[in-house]
Amino acid sequence: MAALIPSASATGSGTMTLAGPSTNSNQTISIPDTTGTMMVSGNMPAFSAYQSSSQTLTAATLTKILFQTEEFDTNNNFASSTFTPTVAGYYQVTGSIRCGNTQIRTFIYKNGSQYKLGTDVSVGYNAMAGTLVYCNGSTDYIEFYALVTGGGSVSAASAETWFNGCLVRAA
Amino acid sequence: MMTLYDKIIAIYPDLQIQDFLTVITLQNDSNGAGDYIKAWSHPTYPKPTDAQLAEIN
Repeated sequence: MAALIPSASATGSGTMTLAGPSTNSNQTISIPDTTGTMMVSGNMPAFSAYQSSSQTLTAATLTKILFQTEEFDTNNNFASSTFTPTVAGYYQVTGSIRCGNTQIRTFIYKNGSQYKLGTDVSVGYNAMAGTLVYCNGSTDYIEFYALVTGGGSVSAASAETWFNGCLVRAA
Repeated sequence: MMTLYDKIIAIYPDLQIQDFLTVITLQNDSNGAGDYIKAWSHPTYPKPTDAQLAEIN
């Protein structure tokens, strides 16, 4: 039978508790046959935000899209329209924008540079960019940029211009 | 008020929107610093100087 051995390197004084189910059913948790950090809700950042105040975009200029209102931000890693996760790992991030009668090209930016090109749509559609991206949990940050060929006002609506993401796999 | 894009077009009227999707990158980081030229690799036209841009109003 396998033994449960507290790590000798553990420095905290807190007690680790394995809580049983609140029913009379027996439950089994299978530990993977590998070494790694177990992910629980408390250490898996997720955020969702949208543009609530319309932003005016200049023609032919890649512009950082602003998201003034958060729907959720479980680990307080989203600020100033920038996602800076504090847990290292692989993140799925997606942004969407709707902006008037103009061609729209979208980008996911990592650390201030173009990382992935999203959709490049013609007049009058939503444009999106999404990718899986590694973040080191300290200095890496993610933003959403867009370029419109004709300029115009962004549609400030939670269903149309938004940015969200979550941790998919720890480092 | 003219945008950076407007000023560049005023200096080089023959530039096309496609140039700004390929060999010229204008950017705005929404941090209050405004538009700037992030990259310029046009094969014919040199990057406009600050003085040239300042002359356009």
